[in-house]
Amino acid sequence: MAHVVTPLDQPSNYKDSQARLDRQTQNDLLSKSSTLYVGNLSFYTTEEQIYELFSKCASPEDGGGVKRIIMGLDRNTRTPCGFCFVEYYSHAEAQACMRYINGTKLDERVIRCDLDLGYKEGRQFGRGKSGGQVRDEHRQDYDAGRGGWGAQAQRAEMERRREEQEQRYADAQDGPGAVAGGGGDWKESAAPPEQQTLKRGRSPEDENYDGTRTGQRLRTDDADVEGERM
Amino acid sequence: MSYRYNGGGRRRNYRDDHDDRFHEPFETPEERLKKNIIKFGDVDTEVEAPRLSKHLREIESPSIVTIADGIRIGFTEQPYKIPHYVALLRSISQDADGSTENSLGKQVLDDIWKGFQAFLDKLAWREVRLSIHFFAHLASAGLISIHSMLSLLQSFTAVLEEFGVSHNRAKNAALCAAEGLLIAGPSLKAHSPAEVTALVSAIETHVEASSANNFLVCPIVHLYERSGAVEGADEVLDIALALAKSLEKMEFSEASKAIVQPYEKDDGITFTPFFDLPSVLVPPEVIELDHLTNGEASTSPQKNDDWAEYKLHLFDSGVTAESTTILGYTTNALISDIIDIFEVNRKECARILLELPRWCPPGTFKPRANSPDTVVDGPCWQLESTLMENILSKLFTLPKPNHKAVYYVALITELCKLSPSTTGPSVGKSIRRLYGLLGDGLDVEIAQRFVTWFATHMSNFGFQWVWKEWIPDLQLVSHHPKRNFIRRSIEIEIRLAYYDRIIKTLPEPYLGSEAETVPDQAPAPEYEYDEPSKPHHDTAQSLLGLLKGRTKADEVITHIETLKNDLAESEINANVDTLIRSMAIQSLLHIGSRSFSHFLNAIERYLPVLRHLAPTSDAKLDILLAAADFWRRQRQMVLIVFDKLMQYQIVDPSDVIAWAFSKGSNASTSPCRIDAFRWGLIESALDKANGRVAIARRKVVALRKEEDESRARATASGNMEVDADVAAETEEAPVVDSPALTNAVKAQTTLIKEQKAVLSNTLGKFIDKLKDTSSILSEKAWQNRANWEDAEWETWETWAFYRNFCRLYAPYLRTYAETLGSVSISKIAGSSDEASLLLKKIWNASTGQEA
Repeated sequence: MAHVVTPLDQPSNYKDSQARLDRQTQNDLLSKSSTLYVGNLSFYTTEEQIYELFSKCASPEDGGGVKRIIMGLDRNTRTPCGFCFVEYYSHAEAQACMRYINGTKLDERVIRCDLDLGYKEGRQFGRGKSGGQVRDEHRQDYDAGRGGWGAQAQRAEMERRREEQEQRYADAQDGPGAVAGGGGDWKESAAPPEQQTLKRGRSPEDENYDGTRTGQRLRTDDADVEGERM
Repeated sequence: MSYRYNGGGRRRNYRDDHDDRFHEPFETPEERLKKNIIKFGDVDTEVEAPRLSKHLREIESPSIVTIADGIRIGFTEQPYKIPHYVALLRSISQDADGSTENSLGKQVLDDIWKGFQAFLDKLAWREVRLSIHFFAHLASAGLISIHSMLSLLQSFTAVLEEFGVSHNRAKNAALCAAEGLLIAGPSLKAHSPAEVTALVSAIETHVEASSANNFLVCPIVHLYERSGAVEGADEVLDIALALAKSLEKMEFSEASKAIVQPYEKDDGITFTPFFDLPSVLVPPEVIELDHLTNGEASTSPQKNDDWAEYKLHLFDSGVTAESTTILGYTTNALISDIIDIFEVNRKECARILLELPRWCPPGTFKPRANSPDTVVDGPCWQLESTLMENILSKLFTLPKPNHKAVYYVALITELCKLSPSTTGPSVGKSIRRLYGLLGDGLDVEIAQRFVTWFATHMSNFGFQWVWKEWIPDLQLVSHHPKRNFIRRSIEIEIRLAYYDRIIKTLPEPYLGSEAETVPDQAPAPEYEYDEPSKPHHDTAQSLLGLLKGRTKADEVITHIETLKNDLAESEINANVDTLIRSMAIQSLLHIGSRSFSHFLNAIERYLPVLRHLAPTSDAKLDILLAAADFWRRQRQMVLIVFDKLMQYQIVDPSDVIAWAFSKGSNASTSPCRIDAFRWGLIESALDKANGRVAIARRKVVALRKEEDESRARATASGNMEVDADVAAETEEAPVVDSPALTNAVKAQTTLIKEQKAVLSNTLGKFIDKLKDTSSILSEKAWQNRANWEDAEWETWETWAFYRNFCRLYAPYLRTYAETLGSVSISKIAGSSDEASLLLKKIWNASTGQEA
C-alpha cells in the first residue's frame, strides 16, 4: 500500500557514524532490525515509562515482546542523556513503533524513533565532548527536560526527578556484559530443573549468564550474528 | 537537527546518504505516467479530468499495462476517487469514429479485469470489494453490460451457499454483493427486478442462519441475552442487508443523489455497453495445516476473524453518518476503508480523512464555519464526530482490531493535531458516551481499550481532562465499572508520566484514601524485610548483602541452603521453603529495583539461584506470590517481572495462570475476581505459550523447507551423475530428518503440550469460578444492577473476561476442542443451571460447535 503515500516505517537517513559497514550492509541490517533508537527523551524519563508506551507495539502472541531497553547515559556522569535503545524480539514490532509511536509524546515530549543497527557495546553512552549527546552541544534553545531549567514552578519537581534519575544509574558499568540480554527463545534444556545443576553446556545463553563471569560478553543469538558481521 | 552536518566524518557520511537517498531515482516515462494517474484529482478533478484524458489519448502507442496499473492502484488505494476513475475510463473509451471495440478504454479494462482475477485468486477481499465498486460504477456509466454485472454479484452470493463456509469468507462475499448492488442498484433493478430480489434474499438467508454466535462479540454485554441484538450497536452485515432491502423497496430512488457520478455527463456520448465481465468463481480458501510427525495437526499462525463485526453508536441520530441511508452507508464504508488502507502512514490518513467532504456529495457534511457554501441541501453530518465513531468502532472490534490498538489511538492524535478545535469536542463527547456505557454493560475488553486510548490520548495532550464531572461517581460501589475505569486510567496515566504529575491534574475528592482511586504515595517497591523490626530482617539482610556484593551464584545457593537449615530449626511452624523463597526473590528484586534494566541484570546474574529456588510448581507459585507482593504498589512491574520470569523459563505460563486465579498471599481477602490487572497477566501467560509454539512452528517450517530443498538438489545432481539404476536406489532410501529438524519438531511437540495445558488450566479455573453464579445472570438481576454490591460486579466482570478468553483464543480452543472439552467442560456437562448452560453456550460458540 505504498503507492499513494510513503509508509512511516522506513528508516531515516541518519547513519551511525561509528558503524564500519557499507551502506548496503547497513540497509540490509535495518530491514531486519528489531532495535529502535529513541531520541528526544527527557533526561528524567524512566525505563518503565518507555516500557509502558513501547509495549503497545509488542506482539507477544507471535513470540514477540520488549526484549530490553538500554538507557543512553552521559559518559562521564552516568546520568540519562536523552536517548535509549528499545529492542524487541521481532522486526515487525520495531516497524509498528515507526508507524504508531514515532512522533507522538512520551512524558510530554515528542519523541523520535528510528530503526537501528542494533545495540553494540559502548553505544549506551553519549558521544558528545561533554559526555552527553552531540545534539545537546549544538542546541540553542532552553530545554527544561534536557538539563536546562524551565519555569520556576516546575523547578522543585524537576529537581526531585533529576535526583531520582541521576542516582539510578550511578552503578552503571561499561565494558562487556554491562548490559543484560533480556532473555532468548525457549530452550528445551532449561525445562527440567534437576538437570540444571549438572552442566550448563547445552544452552549457549546459560553459560554466559551464570553470574560468575560478569566480565564476559553476553552472547545472544543476535549478538552472535552481529559479532560475525561487524 | 544540527548534529547531522557536524564534523569531517559526518560530512563524508552525509554525502554518502545523499547519494543513496536524496536523489530522486530516474523516472521512466511510464513511471511518470503511472504517478500522474495515481495523483489524478488530488487538486481538482474537474480541471484535471479533461487534461489527463486528453493526455492519455494523445500518447503514441501508450502502455496499456501502465495505464491499467495506475488506475487499479488508484481505485484500490484511493477508494474515494473510484467514480472519477470511472469517468476517466469512460472518456477514453470511444475512438474518434465512435467505435469502442479497440478503444484505449476497452484495452485498459481488459487489463484491469486480469488484475481483478489476481485479487480474487489471492482472496484479497478489500481489493476485490473495491474493484466491484469500480465495476458497478462502470455498469452505471453504461460501459459494462448490466447482465454481466449481475452475474458477477451472483458469483459472490453463491459463496454464501457453500457448505461450511467460514464466517469471514461469507461476510466478505456478502459485502461485495451488497455494495455492488447499492452502487449499481438502479440499473440492475431496471434490468431484472427478480434477480435483484434474489440477490437480496440470498444475503438475507445467510444473515439469518449465521448470527447464532453474534452475542459473543456484541460490544454491550447482557448475560441474559442469547441473540446478538442490542440497542446502541449494529452488526455490519445486518446494516448492509437492512439498507439493501429498504432500497430495493424504493426502487433505489435514493441512489442517484447519494452517489457521486461524475460520469453522468451531457457530453452527447452514449455507450452501448461494450464490456461483458467474464464469469468468475470465487476460489476456495486455502487451509494451511502442517502435520506434525506424531500425526497431530495444528493450524498455522492464528487468524481470528470469523466473527460478526459491530459498530457502536456514540452520537445522537442526525449528528453522524447513518448507515440506514445509502449516503450514510457509503460514507461510513469509505471512512472504514481509508482507515485500513492508510495504516502505513497515520499522518496522511488523518489529512485524507479531514479532506473527505470534497469527495462526497455536497451537504453530506456540515460546511466549515468559514466556508463559502453555507446553505446546502443534505444531512449535514458532523465530519469529526463521524470520523471518531468509525475509528472507535474499528478500535473496539472484537475479538481483536485489524491493526494494533495503538494505531487508532495515534490516528486520533493526528486528527486532533491537524484540527484541534473541531476534533477536540468530538473526542470529548466520545469519551463521555463510552464512559456512560460502562455501567450499562460495555464489554470488558472494550473498556480496556477505552482505558488505553484515554490514558494515551491524555498523555499526548497535557493530561487535561475534566475529572470534575465524574466526582459524583466516586459514590458508586468500589468495583463498579465506572470506578474501575477511573482507577485504571489514572494508573496507566501514572505509568506514562509520573505520580506527582498526574496527582496535580485530579480534583481533591479523588485524592482521599476513602475514594480508593489513587494510592497515597508514588509507586515503589515494598521490600518486606527492610525494617529492622520485621521478622527475619537479619536473615534477609545477609542474603541481600551477598547479592549486592555480586557474590557468585553457587555461593549464594550454598548460603541459601544454610539459611534454610537454620530457619528449619528455629521456625518449627513456618513453611521454611516458602519463607526462604520469598526472602531470596524479594532480595533479588530489591537489587534490581532501580529500573527494568537493573532487574534484567539482577536476574541474568542469578539465573542459577532462581532455578535452584523454583524446582516445582508450588515453588514457582511462591516465587510469583513474593514478586507480586514486592511490586504490589507498582503493578506494571508485576507484569514485567512475570513476563521475564517466563522468558527466562524460571516459571511457566501455567504457573502464572495459577497465580492469576489464586487469592494472593493475603488469603484473608475476599475470593479473587478476574479484574483487568489479573486478566492482563492471564493474557500475557497465554500469549507466551502461544508465541512459543508460533516460534517453534516457524523454525520447523524453515528447517523442513531447507532440507526438502537440499534433498531435491541432491536428487537432481545425483540423477545427472549416476545411471538410472543407482538413482532409483537412492530414491528408495528412507528420508531421514536431520538432528536439527528432529529436535525442532520435538520442541514444538513439547510446547504444544504446554500450550494445551495452559489453555486447559485457564478454562478449568474460569469454570470453577463461575459455575455457581446463576443468580446474577437473569434479566431481572441485571435490571437491578443499581443495587449491586462489589460481589455482583466482580462476578459480572469475571463472566465478561471468560467471554473474552473464549473468543480471543477461539482458534486455539477450536484446535484442541476435544481434549479441552473432555477435561473441563465435562465437569458441567450434565448441569442445567443457568451458569452451566451459559458456560457451555459460550464455549460452544467459540469452538464452533452446535449448542
